[in-house]
Amino acid sequence: MRPGHLFGLETEYGLLIHNPEVGIPPEMLVHQVRDHLFEQHKVGLIDRHHRAHDEPPGNGGFLLNGGRFYIDMGHIEYATPECTGLSEMVAFDRAGDVLLHQTLVDMGLSEHASFIKNNIDYETGATFGAHENYLVSRDFPFTERGLGRLVPFLVTRQVFTGAGRLGANFVPEGYMVLGDPEFPKIPFQISQRTDHIVSDFYQWVQFNRAIINTRDEPLADPGRYRRIHLLLGDSNLSEYATALKVGTTALVLDLIHEGVAPDVAILDPVNALKLISRDPERRWEICLEDGKPITALEVQRDYLDAGKKYLSGQSDDIDWTLKAWEETLNDLETGDSEKLVGRVDWASKLWLLEGFMAEEKLTWDDPWLKSLDLEYHNLDPERGLYFGLEAEGKMSRRTTLESIQQAMKMPPVETRAAGRAMLLRKLMKDPAPYMFNWTSVYIEGQHLSMVDPFQTYLKEAKVFLKTVNLL
Amino acid sequence: MIGQFERREKPIDPVEKPRDTGGPEKPDTDTSRDKLLKRMRKVDPKQSERYRQRTGE
Repeated sequence: MRPGHLFGLETEYGLLIHNPEVGIPPEMLVHQVRDHLFEQHKVGLIDRHHRAHDEPPGNGGFLLNGGRFYIDMGHIEYATPECTGLSEMVAFDRAGDVLLHQTLVDMGLSEHASFIKNNIDYETGATFGAHENYLVSRDFPFTERGLGRLVPFLVTRQVFTGAGRLGANFVPEGYMVLGDPEFPKIPFQISQRTDHIVSDFYQWVQFNRAIINTRDEPLADPGRYRRIHLLLGDSNLSEYATALKVGTTALVLDLIHEGVAPDVAILDPVNALKLISRDPERRWEICLEDGKPITALEVQRDYLDAGKKYLSGQSDDIDWTLKAWEETLNDLETGDSEKLVGRVDWASKLWLLEGFMAEEKLTWDDPWLKSLDLEYHNLDPERGLYFGLEAEGKMSRRTTLESIQQAMKMPPVETRAAGRAMLLRKLMKDPAPYMFNWTSVYIEGQHLSMVDPFQTYLKEAKVFLKTVNLL
Repeated sequence: MIGQFERREKPIDPVEKPRDTGGPEKPDTDTSRDKLLKRMRKVDPKQSERYRQRTGE
């Protein structure tokens, strides 16, 4: 049986030091920010146990909103709690952004450093992720044939999910080039992560990043659920793009589960990803396996048409997604990217950059543009170019200030994040030995299993607290 | 305290989840770019040289 929608996002943030003379290395500052969040802001409870070989005690912890902050590969990372609605999920995504920036403000460091919500740097070729998680039932066709129906959608969705970047990274980290090849000049491409995707299916996440990550780690009852974990997407600043990315992907997973997803076979999907992202004409032509040409927009239309036929009317989120998807594709088809300003990140960024280039008489190879690209992703509302667009009323919104504020301190109401948050809150008031994980909580050596993400576990949590003499 | 977003006393149970508003409105993209250009001119042209990150996942 196909479950309802449940999803979450994980974001690895970059850190830009404005003033190196302050003398705090970025890798040290992220630890200080984490400690400030947990020790001063009391956003949650820091882990006291080894979660994994790279997550020692104190590396991170769960939050009162049900999500999680932790250090991963030198980046501070935020995982939203389990969400069931698109606006809800966007609010929780932004809650992480705001918590991080406000912590720098509170530490008196916002003039010296900024968190950057992007996926690349221009100096070292590093990349860092924006991961998506979608819960599906165990009988979802998690096979090359079943997931093969997802690949063409993922390869082409970047036309509205891409965050945009200057140039290209032709040699992903972990790879090397023999000889002395000449790489083509790419002034601007629509996605940040596609340069770093080198496989179609793979289970690991670094050095061999795949269009579809195949590891089986449901973080839920493994007899009932699987988790589709995607790492090819860009970090979106646009709330509309975030909602459309997650909404369309969840919808396509529904189509696959129902056995009604389009049967489109793209030739060399990894190469097609790059062809689309780097196409200067933005015609986005690729090839099917039988050699026939097709455009990214035509592929997207196939999925949209199936969604309209089979899923229309099933929920407000699905209907919003179908409508927004169609409007976005219609506007993309005009070839006028300015129509997408305010909804699609790459188009919004391109509009800003082209305007600035015209005004300042710059060319694409001017290094100032790289700094402006970074600034689009700066989470400081006084600096970030995304926030400049938002302040001018140009960005389509899915949240309000109130919904973001609420998401910073309260969990979603329809998932197990509610029970997790309730237990956290109680322990912060009445300390006792604890161990929190996504699927379970231990207090005083007693165990509460939370393997069904669709349950709130609020009643069970109250009984559990009585069992351990905390209620 | 977290800047302008001060923590308040709150109930133990979670509150109502944020409401879907039926989708965003299309923005007017024809308004003046002056404020945005001003913000862009303030950006340090060399800041991307200082942005050196570790590779992540």
